[in-house]
Amino acid sequence: MTLKIIVMMKQVPDAEEIFIDPVTYTLNRTAARGVINIPDENALEIALQIKDKVGAEVTVISMGPPQAEEAIIECMGRGADRGILITDRAFAAADTYATSLTLAATIDKIGKYDIILAGESTTDSGTGHVGPGVAEFLDIDQVTYAESAEVVDDKIRVKRILEDADEVVEVPFPVLVTVLTGANIPRRATLRRKIDAIKKGIERWDHETLGLPPDWIGIRGSPTIVGAVKVPEEKKRASKKISLEQIPEMIDELFEKGIIKREDGA
Amino acid sequence: MMSEFDVIVVGGGPAGTSAAIRLAQNKVNVLLVDRADPPGSKNVSGGVLWGNDLGKIIPDWEKIIPVERLITRKGTTFLTKDSAISLDFSSRKFLTNRTGYSVLRVKMDLALAKKAKEEGAMVIGGVTVDSVARKDGKIIGIEQDGDTITSDTVILAEGANPRVAIDSGLRKPIGDRDVAIGVKQIYKIPEDKINERFNLSGNEGFAGEYVLGYLPDGVEAGGFLYTNKNTLSVGVVVSPSHLRNYGQMHSYDIMEEFVQHPSIARLVEGGRLEEYSAHLVVEGGLSSVPKLYGDGYMIAGDAAGFSFSNGLVIQGMNYAIASGIAAADTFIEAKEKGNYTAKALSDYQKKLEESYVLKDLRTFKGIENSTWSSMAHRTIPDILERFLFRLNLEDGLPKKHILELLLRSVSESGHNKTSLALEAYRMMRRM
Ligand SMILES: Cc1cc2nc3c(=O)[nH]c(=O)nc-3n(C[C@H](O)[C@H](O)[C@H](O)COP(=O)(O)OP(=O)(O)OC[C@H]3O[C@@H](n4cnc5c(N)ncnc54)[C@H](O)[C@@H]3O)c2cc1C
Ligand SMILES: Cc1cc2nc3c(=O)[nH]c(=O)nc-3n(C[C@H](O)[C@H](O)[C@H](O)COP(=O)(O)OP(=O)(O)OC[C@H]3O[C@@H](n4cnc5c(N)ncnc54)[C@H](O)[C@@H]3O)c2cc1C
Repeated sequence: MTLKIIVMMKQVPDAEEIFIDPVTYTLNRTAARGVINIPDENALEIALQIKDKVGAEVTVISMGPPQAEEAIIECMGRGADRGILITDRAFAAADTYATSLTLAATIDKIGKYDIILAGESTTDSGTGHVGPGVAEFLDIDQVTYAESAEVVDDKIRVKRILEDADEVVEVPFPVLVTVLTGANIPRRATLRRKIDAIKKGIERWDHETLGLPPDWIGIRGSPTIVGAVKVPEEKKRASKKISLEQIPEMIDELFEKGIIKREDGA
Repeated sequence: MMSEFDVIVVGGGPAGTSAAIRLAQNKVNVLLVDRADPPGSKNVSGGVLWGNDLGKIIPDWEKIIPVERLITRKGTTFLTKDSAISLDFSSRKFLTNRTGYSVLRVKMDLALAKKAKEEGAMVIGGVTVDSVARKDGKIIGIEQDGDTITSDTVILAEGANPRVAIDSGLRKPIGDRDVAIGVKQIYKIPEDKINERFNLSGNEGFAGEYVLGYLPDGVEAGGFLYTNKNTLSVGVVVSPSHLRNYGQMHSYDIMEEFVQHPSIARLVEGGRLEEYSAHLVVEGGLSSVPKLYGDGYMIAGDAAGFSFSNGLVIQGMNYAIASGIAAADTFIEAKEKGNYTAKALSDYQKKLEESYVLKDLRTFKGIENSTWSSMAHRTIPDILERFLFRLNLEDGLPKKHILELLLRSVSESGHNKTSLALEAYRMMRRM
């Protein structure tokens, strides 16, 4: 039986091209082109590495506006076999709860799966909720902070990068793994695969395909209320050239100004 | 064996997109491939588009292409260390007799690629074509990452650094004399401020070209400054052989010299630098134009060396568009006969000979020798500065006739009148 892998991918505005409007404090995304969220590229690459090694059918799912199709085609150009765009005006303004629910319903609808790969967080909202949220809705195991993963028999072996240690865990299927930004170098799409992807096309599902009541999705299914969005004030930085001997002096000065504190808080 | 596509177009700049649009409009099964994703998104922004040819494929092109401003004021300026000597021409005649629009290339190329897709072309970005594919000496498609994608004809429209054409032996490598280096910056400045600084209103625009007659070590460079809606495109063009042979300057040093010149600094003041890029400018003239077609291929746009530059104006987009359309039309006619041999595609050359594309290149044969000359870059600015300064100075001395002032400026500049006249005459003949 072929292994079934699902990759969750969000199209985000190119981080190099977005900026915060200094007057309205809103994210100005109008000029930005859509790109694949960076860790999602890394998640896809892990899926494709597994496919190369042991064979797998890789499906990319994405919830987003119609133009997210291009990001899905790009994923198929890199080697994904199938692409599903979950798109519907009714999904608009979903928070992470409604997003997770919708994606989980999509995965249930796909049916059989062994591994779900997601990015650790997005570059545009970056809550990091959605991967774990989907695992909870599906009630399956999850492994976070993955740097790499391989399939060993009927388990996945994942290397996690934690603050003070690297950890290797093995988990049986089905399992959801969230992947760190920059975990690998994603391969490039080939022309052959992109042509084939365009010829094959992607599937488009809406809330009716998923059988989700309108109250559960989009803004109506989102318990979050965004109170305000603030731009943090730029901290003033100072620099000073000092010699090696002056370092203790400098440290005293930093304590005095309260910039650094002793571990006991004194 | 049937080819997968009728035509594969390599490159999504103005040449490639124009070809793809024309082909798709005529029900040709065309694939357009560009290195950038989305296509064109890496192209150097900013420039003046002489877009009349676009009218042939997009009747309402001025609405489809996000144009910035209609150029109604043109400036030609010699800069010396202390002075700026300009010929400023603004005219209401431009409102009915359009010269050109300032455009931002990323937006323009995206719009053209989108149009090609709407017309039915398959448009793919983010993929670099490696080479053409051959069988029995004929070109049968392209190679990419080990795969062969077949087509009856390939149109190479890959720009000023045509790696595919060169690596496939379809044109000789680009030499120092075939290109110049263009460096460009985009500054964000509020629309009303631009209107105020450049004496414009509404969507009127200014396009200025400059001779940088004050660079150290005899380096010659041209500069340009175009107004967009709320940005300025500012840049310099310098010949690579000049950079190599004279002094220690880099192209970005020259860019700095330009924006810091007092008469330019005032115009860009307070602007936020949004983009900084460098790109080759085709300048080789007729002698750098390769063989334009062969069995199963044609070359268009910058890749074919089509451009016009008299040291001040750079025109390339219009030649790119015109040649892209000519290549498409040649294919459409060849398809009727099902013949894509060199002989069938030779019509491409004929079409270009009949249009301004090759006519201009023939008319201005050898112009590159005048644009990069110390005459244009040193002598003229120097003499003009001396002359105009004299003319405008009130120094308590008795006044002199203009001609006398001019001749005195010439002799003071250390130039021989006769050889100067000879050189100036030659230059005017070429330009
Ligand atoms: C200004 C602003 C404020 C917001 N405030 C909140 C808020 O306070 N609370 C809240 O809950 N939501 C909020 N949202 C909405 C929400 O954060 C996201 O837009 C959306 O729910 C996805 O969450 P995320 O981008 O943080 O994804 P993350 O949880 O960071 O994403 C992790 C991974 O999940 C997958 N994934 C995420 N989204 C998708 C998708 N659409 N399709 C496929 N895979 C996906 C990807 O693999 C991704 O790498 C806000 C949005 C904006 C613009
Ligand atoms: C600084 C500067 C200022 C200029 N100002 C003006 C101006 O004001 N007016 C004017 O008319 N002209 C101007 N030009 C010239 C003009 O930009 C060019 O003549 C014009 O862009 C040529 O169009 P093209 O389609 O032939 O090539 P390009 O616009 O260069 O497009 C080539 C495309 O091919 C793609 N490509 C290259 N190799 C591959 C590959 N192997 N596989 C896939 N894709 C590939 C590239 O990504 C690119 O999108 C200027 C040029 C410069 C550098």
